Amino acid sequence: MSVAALARETGRRLQEAERLNATLHWSQALLDAEAARLDGLADGPLSGMTVALKDNIVTTDQPTTCASRILDGYLSPFEATAVTRLRAAGALIAAKTNLDEFAMGSSTEHSAFGRVLHPLDPDLVPGGSSGGSAALVAAGVTPAALGSETGGSVRQPAAFCGIVGVKPGYGRVSRFGLVAFGSSLDCISVFGATVRDAERVLETISGHDPLDATTHPGGSLVAAPARQDLRGVVIGLPREYFPADLHPGVRAACERTIAILRQLGAEVRDVSLPSTSHAVPAYYIVNPAEAAANLARYDGVRFGNRRVGPEADLRALYRSTRGDGFGAEVKRRILVGTFVLSAGYAERYYARAQAARRLIVDDFARVFDAGIDFLFTPTTPTPAFRAGEKLSDPVAMYLADIFVCPASLAGLPALSLPIGRDGGLPLGGQVMAPDGGDADMLAVAAVIEGAVDATGEVR
Amino acid sequence: MEWETVIGLEMHVQLATRSKMFCACATTYGQAPNSNVCPVCLGLPGALPVANAEAIRLGTLGAIALGCTIHLVSIFARKNYFYPDLPKGYQISQFDKPLATDGHLEFESPDRGPTSVSITRLHLEEDAGKSLHDRIPGQTAIDLNRAGTPLAEIVSGPDLRSPAEARAYLVALRQVLLYAGVSECSMEKGSLRVDANLSVRRPGDPLGTKTEVKNMNSFANVERALESERARQMALLDGGGRVTQVTLTFNAATGDVRPLRSKEDAHDYRYFPDPDLPPLVLDPAWITAQTDALPELPQARRARYESALGLNAHDASVLIQEPEVARYYEDVVTAGADPKVAANWVMGEVLAAWNSSGTFAVMPERLSDLTALVSAGTVSLQAARRIYGEMCTADDTPRAVADRLGLVQVRDESALTTWIDEALAANPDEVARWRGGEAKLVGFFVGQVMKRSGGKADPKGIQPLLMQRLGS
Amino acid sequence: MTIGPDTVRHVARLAELAVADGDVDLLAAQLESIVDFVEQLATIDALPGTAVVNIGPPTLTLREDVVAPIPMTRLAADLAPEFAQGFFVVPRLGGMVDE
Repeated sequence: MSVAALARETGRRLQEAERLNATLHWSQALLDAEAARLDGLADGPLSGMTVALKDNIVTTDQPTTCASRILDGYLSPFEATAVTRLRAAGALIAAKTNLDEFAMGSSTEHSAFGRVLHPLDPDLVPGGSSGGSAALVAAGVTPAALGSETGGSVRQPAAFCGIVGVKPGYGRVSRFGLVAFGSSLDCISVFGATVRDAERVLETISGHDPLDATTHPGGSLVAAPARQDLRGVVIGLPREYFPADLHPGVRAACERTIAILRQLGAEVRDVSLPSTSHAVPAYYIVNPAEAAANLARYDGVRFGNRRVGPEADLRALYRSTRGDGFGAEVKRRILVGTFVLSAGYAERYYARAQAARRLIVDDFARVFDAGIDFLFTPTTPTPAFRAGEKLSDPVAMYLADIFVCPASLAGLPALSLPIGRDGGLPLGGQVMAPDGGDADMLAVAAVIEGAVDATGEVR
Repeated sequence: MEWETVIGLEMHVQLATRSKMFCACATTYGQAPNSNVCPVCLGLPGALPVANAEAIRLGTLGAIALGCTIHLVSIFARKNYFYPDLPKGYQISQFDKPLATDGHLEFESPDRGPTSVSITRLHLEEDAGKSLHDRIPGQTAIDLNRAGTPLAEIVSGPDLRSPAEARAYLVALRQVLLYAGVSECSMEKGSLRVDANLSVRRPGDPLGTKTEVKNMNSFANVERALESERARQMALLDGGGRVTQVTLTFNAATGDVRPLRSKEDAHDYRYFPDPDLPPLVLDPAWITAQTDALPELPQARRARYESALGLNAHDASVLIQEPEVARYYEDVVTAGADPKVAANWVMGEVLAAWNSSGTFAVMPERLSDLTALVSAGTVSLQAARRIYGEMCTADDTPRAVADRLGLVQVRDESALTTWIDEALAANPDEVARWRGGEAKLVGFFVGQVMKRSGGKADPKGIQPLLMQRLGS
Repeated sequence: MTIGPDTVRHVARLAELAVADGDVDLLAAQLESIVDFVEQLATIDALPGTAVVNIGPPTLTLREDVVAPIPMTRLAADLAPEFAQGFFVVPRLGGMVDE
């Protein structure tokens, strides 16, 4: 297919997927412009691939809104490193996708521009916060999309939507141009229809960036040699991820996959990560604290939308701009983050959360040092939930991330891949790897992908 | 009973880098507003800070010069507060893990003589932009050119005991930073700013409640502001009142301090380590290399001027005050001038011209050549001053100027004899008195000869010939 | 731990966030539930001061001191909600700080 035809076909698919409310910006004119740009470019590793971008990754040719009224219509004067690398590799940028406002959420219901629908059932959520990107890939619009992870925002929707979601290790992909949320946790991450699709994108966007001091030195990810089986691989099953009250469908899918791991020659061992229960509470201190500072720049002074209060002084401008511009969940996180760092509370909350994070990091180090190569767990405690179900209870929403938060806090590479369905709903299995194990993790995931019946019912 | 004054000072200096602390924008002063800005220093969504190696080096150099302990691991933190010229809503600074602590500065106190002041800490941070309240009627204008400029904050212990001593400390600290090449240290350009803390107490008592004084635009005004605040606190306490912790601003026009309206909640900065910047880790070998590369500091230079060049303490301290002046002085000496003669020239004509114009109009080699002409007797000292003045505006060698202006001293015997004979003929009474034994009249005759020569006669050549003619 | 309306208002002031009077009680309740939830960590000994667990590269990589600003396809004037005579413009600072 020519790039011009690819652009037209992508436009047609995006049009068809409009019912999902998965995109915030796209147009046939922009797709055609992308095709024209690619026409003059030599073939690259991603030629012929279309990629959608979560709308918290800045681009110069389309707005970047973070699904927030405060940035409605905002046009960035510079482009994210990951996008520049995608474009140079020949990828066609298809659309900017919907998300929870500033990536705060697990259902993509907290968007100022309306919720994203699950491709299989409009009453369900696609997961979040990268729900728009997940829905587009699940609906077959693009084979890959960029999302962002802070505490599972790619793996969790990948599980809900039945696709692959890969969070690289922290610092493997530049955050330059990713709108900051929780800076010590944020990772540009990748959705793929297959493990290989996600891997190709990661090969392109990873590697040191002089504009991001938290990227590791060294080049981009190099795919590990393909494997036929899992002989010689030791896989740990952390018991804290298989609680007694785990959803029976999720449990069945995991048990079926674990049997396949054994059949493929892997040695499977029970292990323990005793600090796992600290992960979500620690996350909901560290993340809001960083978010409150990261979102201070939205003050209506230099960019974005401004609202002047009735008093017409600066303080009124700040408060009205931010009070009207941010949605309920964003305000909640800012208030929590400000509170946990405020005088008299920092020791009790922030310092303890750091200590908890240390325990979680040490837990992982202990099992990986003890000969475990990878960990296998369910990605989520349940399949996709109904829209509105957890909106009034922030803590219940936070607990949807209980299995994905720990790898985020430890900065480890982790992915979710589809491992079957229950009642028609996709279920995800999570593979976690030690620091630097991104490529090997993808190779193992590709073997599992080839062996499991990803769309078959598990019970 | 006496009050004792206790003062501590915080100095912010702009580090002499080409680019900003966390982005590659220029630090150039005086550009069109908001022209030296980029996504990073504008705090745009998605931009990230990357630290400038030279800012770290200069901060380290300053810390070494102040005898600080340099910490091998230091942390950049976010200091959170809202202000329109603070783009990100937080300032990147160092908090509980600063670059350096526990230094000291030796200086000459006007009250106590040689005094050592402790340097509590030196940390690195980025500057904010500027808010201009008088630019646009009823509104505030924001210029972010300065936002992100690298600063070192240098905090002294509460060791200073008078406003005059505080001023002397500032002069000495500025000298050290100038010599180390850390900063341009110009208050006019805003590359040096000072905040002061002052309290008073009965000697031996614990520290009293301190107030902070801001907005002082010269060292002289720091002294004036502190005198004013000291008087205010003493009067308050003498009257049975109590000092409350407050931030004050100095009004240079009236010499008064007055309280700033308090910033609501301003002191809850919610510091936490900036996750965008991993810990700054320094290599001990690198620190050693910086220590070795540290330029000669003012105290060492003053000692060398006294011991190696034979200058007295006063001259040495005048010459070291500004590193540029000291460098110029040494260039004159290196070019061959006698150190004491060169010192007199530099402290006189050269410093006068430099203070008014900020430049050295005459190349050091030419000033050295000029002193050589004087010592060889080719021109008189008086003539040399004229030649120096001429060289300030004309690009010419001293010899060429002397020739052009006819200032070369005449030693030719026949010419001198002519002037002597004229002088003796014109003053027969004095000749008679000399012959009568009034020996001191020699000076009178020399003066007369000089007058007739138009100042060109070489005084050393006159006397032997004069004696000859008088004796004949 | 109890989070009352006063705490919500205090924290909202620190964060320069307008909170409608009608929302204060609900926010207080939600904040309290979140804070109660994270109180689970009370059994852990806190790290001293603001010490953090550093994820990612262990040390700061530095940039050479070269003037090479990131190019911008739009200028400050294009981005600003209000811009005049080369300046970003905001209202008088009012009660916030001394002018």
